[in-house]
Amino acid sequence: MPESILSVENLTKCFPTKQGLVRAIDGISFVMAPGDTLGLVGESGSGKTTTAQCIVGMYPPTSGDILFKGETIGAAFNRRPKHVKGDLRIVFQDPGSSLNPKRTIKQILSVPLAVHRVGTSRDRLARMKALLEMVELPADEYLYKYPQAIGGGEKQMVALARALATNPSLVLLDEPTSALDVSVQAKIINLLIRLRRELNLTYLFITHDLSLMRNVASRVAIMYLGKLCEIAPTVEFFEHPVHPYTKMLLSSIPVVSDEEEALKPHKAISKGEIPSPVNIPPGCSFHSRCSERGDSCAELDPEMREIAPGHVVRCNHWCGPEGE
Amino acid sequence: MALLEVKDLCVGYRIFEGHLRVLNRARLEVDSGERVGLVGETGCGKTTTVKSILRVLPTPPAEVASGEILYRGADILRMSHRGIRDLRRREMTAIFQDPLQSLNPMFTVGTQLRDILKDSMGGRGRGRLSRREIEARCIAALHETGMPDPERIMHNYPSQLSGGMRQRVCIAEALSREAQLLLADEPTTNLDVTIQDQILRKLDELVDEKGTSVLIITHSMGVVRDLTQRMYIMYAGTMVETGRTKDLLAAPRHPYTQGLMESVPRLTGVGISDGIPGRIPNYLDPPSGCRFHPRCVHVMPVCKETAPEFFSVGEGHVVACYLYRS
Amino acid sequence: MWQEKRADLAASFALRRRGLAKGWYKFSRNPLSVVGLVVLVVIVLATGLASYITPYPAHAGPYTNFKAAGQPPSWEHLFGTDRIGRDVFTRVIFGYRFSLLLGIVVLGLGVAPGVILGLIAGYHRGTWVETTIMRVTDVFLAVPPLVLALAITAMLTPSLLNEMFAIALLWWPWYCRLVFAVSSSMRNQFFIREAEFSGASEAHILFREMLPNCLAPILTKMTLDMGIVILLGASLSFVGLGAQPPTPCLGTMVADGAKRLPGEWWSTIFPALAIVLVILAFNLVGDGLRDVFAVEEV
Repeated sequence: MPESILSVENLTKCFPTKQGLVRAIDGISFVMAPGDTLGLVGESGSGKTTTAQCIVGMYPPTSGDILFKGETIGAAFNRRPKHVKGDLRIVFQDPGSSLNPKRTIKQILSVPLAVHRVGTSRDRLARMKALLEMVELPADEYLYKYPQAIGGGEKQMVALARALATNPSLVLLDEPTSALDVSVQAKIINLLIRLRRELNLTYLFITHDLSLMRNVASRVAIMYLGKLCEIAPTVEFFEHPVHPYTKMLLSSIPVVSDEEEALKPHKAISKGEIPSPVNIPPGCSFHSRCSERGDSCAELDPEMREIAPGHVVRCNHWCGPEGE
Repeated sequence: MALLEVKDLCVGYRIFEGHLRVLNRARLEVDSGERVGLVGETGCGKTTTVKSILRVLPTPPAEVASGEILYRGADILRMSHRGIRDLRRREMTAIFQDPLQSLNPMFTVGTQLRDILKDSMGGRGRGRLSRREIEARCIAALHETGMPDPERIMHNYPSQLSGGMRQRVCIAEALSREAQLLLADEPTTNLDVTIQDQILRKLDELVDEKGTSVLIITHSMGVVRDLTQRMYIMYAGTMVETGRTKDLLAAPRHPYTQGLMESVPRLTGVGISDGIPGRIPNYLDPPSGCRFHPRCVHVMPVCKETAPEFFSVGEGHVVACYLYRS
Repeated sequence: MWQEKRADLAASFALRRRGLAKGWYKFSRNPLSVVGLVVLVVIVLATGLASYITPYPAHAGPYTNFKAAGQPPSWEHLFGTDRIGRDVFTRVIFGYRFSLLLGIVVLGLGVAPGVILGLIAGYHRGTWVETTIMRVTDVFLAVPPLVLALAITAMLTPSLLNEMFAIALLWWPWYCRLVFAVSSSMRNQFFIREAEFSGASEAHILFREMLPNCLAPILTKMTLDMGIVILLGASLSFVGLGAQPPTPCLGTMVADGAKRLPGEWWSTIFPALAIVLVILAFNLVGDGLRDVFAVEEV
C-alpha cells in the first residue's frame, strides 16, 4: 500500500480566453492518505471544481503532477489506463444532469460494469441489484425507472451506485448534496460515511458548505482564486482558523442556534466579491477583501507555511501564535 | 387586519397520472411591517403558494380548488385582471432565485430599472416624475443596495454582472417602487456564502428603513433566522408549525420540524442525524389525516384519520400535531 | 435464472408501454393533432389498398378513353376525369402513393447521414472534426434547394428515383445542423462526462447516450419535413422533372390540369387540395409530437 493515495503537486491549469489567460488553478499541492476525507472548500470561481476535473482527467493540467497510488496520471482521460478510470471515480453536483434522462437506471448502471467487464454478463443483473441495495434503494423497484421518475436524493444515490460499480478506492464528490434538501442531504451524508467505512474509500469532497465539512471531513482545505489558503485537520481548522479569508467564510455562514453563533469569528465581516480570475490582484490575491491587510500584502505573494502539525497557511500577516 | 392572509388554500395540478393535490388547506398571514419566513423542502408547495399569491400559476394544469388569498381584505383569486395588475404594480413586489431569469438579457440594467419606475410611479397627471428624477432614483436605488459605482452599472447588461450584483439589481428593482409587500423566493440560494451574507444584511437594512413587509421563502433555516421575526414550516402542502423564529428554532415541536433541525449540519460538529425516514408523499394519493404520519415516529391512530388542527404550545407558537392536544 | 430474465423483460416492457400511454395522452390533448393523425392514417391505408378501393385502378397506368375525357365530378367519377378520360380520384390516391414513397425514401436517405454527422460534430465540438463537417454542411445549405434539385434532376434523366436522390442530397444538412445544435449543447452535460470518465467507447456515447436525447427534435422535424418534401417533389414534378407520365404524380397532375383552367377546374383543384391535405396532416401530427416531447412544467 503506498503511503498516499492521491498527491497533487504544484498543479496549474490555465485557460486561454478572449480577455486573457485565466489561471483557474495556480500551483496547488496537497496529499491525501488512504481513508482521508479532504474537504476542498471555496466560493464559485475559486477553482475547486477545475481541480476535481483535472484530477478526473477532464483537462490535462498545464503544469504540475497528479500522482494516484504513486503513478502519474496527469494526462487527459482518453490517455489513462482503464484500471485508473475504474479506481478513481467522480460523483457530480447536479444529479439531474449526471443521469441520462432517456436511459433507465438499469441501463445507466450497466455502463461501467460492461466497460470494465465486472463479472460475466450473466451476473451483472445481480450485481446491479446489489449496488442499489448498497445505496439503500429497493432494487426491483428502481431498476426499471427513468431518472425523472425519482427524487433528487435518489438520483444522487443512483449516481453513487454507478460510481461504486467498479470498486474504486478514491471517489471525488463534486458538491454531491448542494442541490438537495437538508433531510435528504443528511441521508446521503450518512450513506457516504457508512460506505467509506465499509468499502475503505477515500473521498475528495468538493463543496462550499463549511458547516457540512465540520461534520464529514477529516481535513479541510480552503481555495481562493486558484490557490490554497489554508489546510488543516478539521477540529483545528474550525477552532483556530488563521487565514482572514477562512474567518470571513466562517462568519458568513447562516447558523440556526446561539451555540453556533458563538463559534463564528465576529471581526471578519464579509465584503467585496471574488475578483475575476482574468485579473487577479497582485501580491496576495485576497488583499483587496482582507480585513487584516498589511502594507506588504499588495506586493508580496505569501508562501505556504506550516504553523502547526498538518496546519498550513498562506498569509503574510500570520506571525506566530503570539501574534493572534 | 393582516396585510396578506392565505386561508385554507387548496391547489392541485391535473396531469396524465391524475390529480396532484399539492396545497392542502395552506394558511399564512403576514402583518403590516412584519417579516415572515416560509420554510420547507423541495416539493412541499412553497413555490405553488408564492405563485398563487402573485397569481401567476399556469392554469391549466394548475387549479385552485378552494380557499382565499386576502390582500388587505380583497381576495386576489377573484380579482379582475386590472385589479391584480394594479396590485403587482403598486403593492406587491418579488425577488426570485435566479436573477438571470428575472432580468431581460437584451436591455441594460438602467433601461429595466427606469421602465419599472416609470410604470409604477409615472403614469399621467400629477405626481409624475421627470426623466431626470427617474434617473436619480434609479441610481439611488442601486446605491442603496451597496452597489459600487451605480452610474456605470446602469449602462451594463445583466450578463456583464456577477450573480451577486444581479441579485442586487433585482433587489433595487423590487424595492425602488416602494411596495408594501416583498415576496422573496429563495433570493440567495444561488449565491456564495460571503455574498449571501452581504445581500441579506443589505436586505435587512433596506426593509427596516422602508418598513416593507416581507414574505421570504427558503429552505435554509439559517437565512430565516437572520431575517425574519416569525416563520412557518411547511410540509406536503400544509403548514405544520408556526411561531416566533427564535422560539421555533430553539425548540421545534412538530416531529417534522425536529427531524429537519437535526438534519441541518452544525458548526459545532455534533454530527448529522439520519434525516427523516421515507420521502415526501406522492401528491396523487396523499396520506389520509396528517400528511406526515407515514414518516412520523410518534404516529398515533388518530393521525391517520383526521388532519390535526393547530394546537398552541407557547405564545404565538402553534403546531399542527396531536402530540400537543392537551 | 430464466425466471429472473423473464421478470427483467416484463419490467422493461411494462415501462415502455407506460411511456407510450403517456405520450398518447399528451398527443391527444390537442384535438387537431388527432384529426391530423386520423387523416394521415386514412391516407396511408388508402394508398396501401389503392388497387382495391379505387374505382378504376387501371387508370393509374397507361390508359386513355377520349370518350370520357374532361367530365366534371359526378357519382361515377368523384373528382371528374382528366383530358384523356382518366378518373382523377383514382389518380390522386395513386399519386399519394408516390408522394409518400418520395417522402419516406428522401428522409430515409437524408436523415441517417445528417444525424450521424451531426452527432460526431457535436461530440467533437471545437475541434477540426466539427469545423470540417459543419463547413461542408454550410456549403450545402448556401445553395438554394430548389435550384440545386433542378440542376441535379436536369443533369440526370428526370425520373422518380433521380428526384428522390436530388432531394435527399439537399436534406441531410438540415438534420446535421439540428443534431449538431442539440448534441453540442449536451456535450458538457455530466452524463456524457461520466460516460467518458468511466471509459465508454465513442460509439456508445454517440448512439446510446446522445442519440436518444436528440430523437425528439429529429422525429418532430421529420414529420414536419414530410410535408415539405412532398411539396418540393410536387414542385419538381410540376416543372416536369419528376416522375414521368403515365405515373400518377400529384405535381404533374396539377401542372397538366393547370393548362385547362378555369374550364376543367377539377383536374387541377383536387390534386392540389390533396397536396394541401397531406401537408396539413403532417404538420398537425408534427405539432402533436412536439407536445409529446415537450418538457412538463409541473
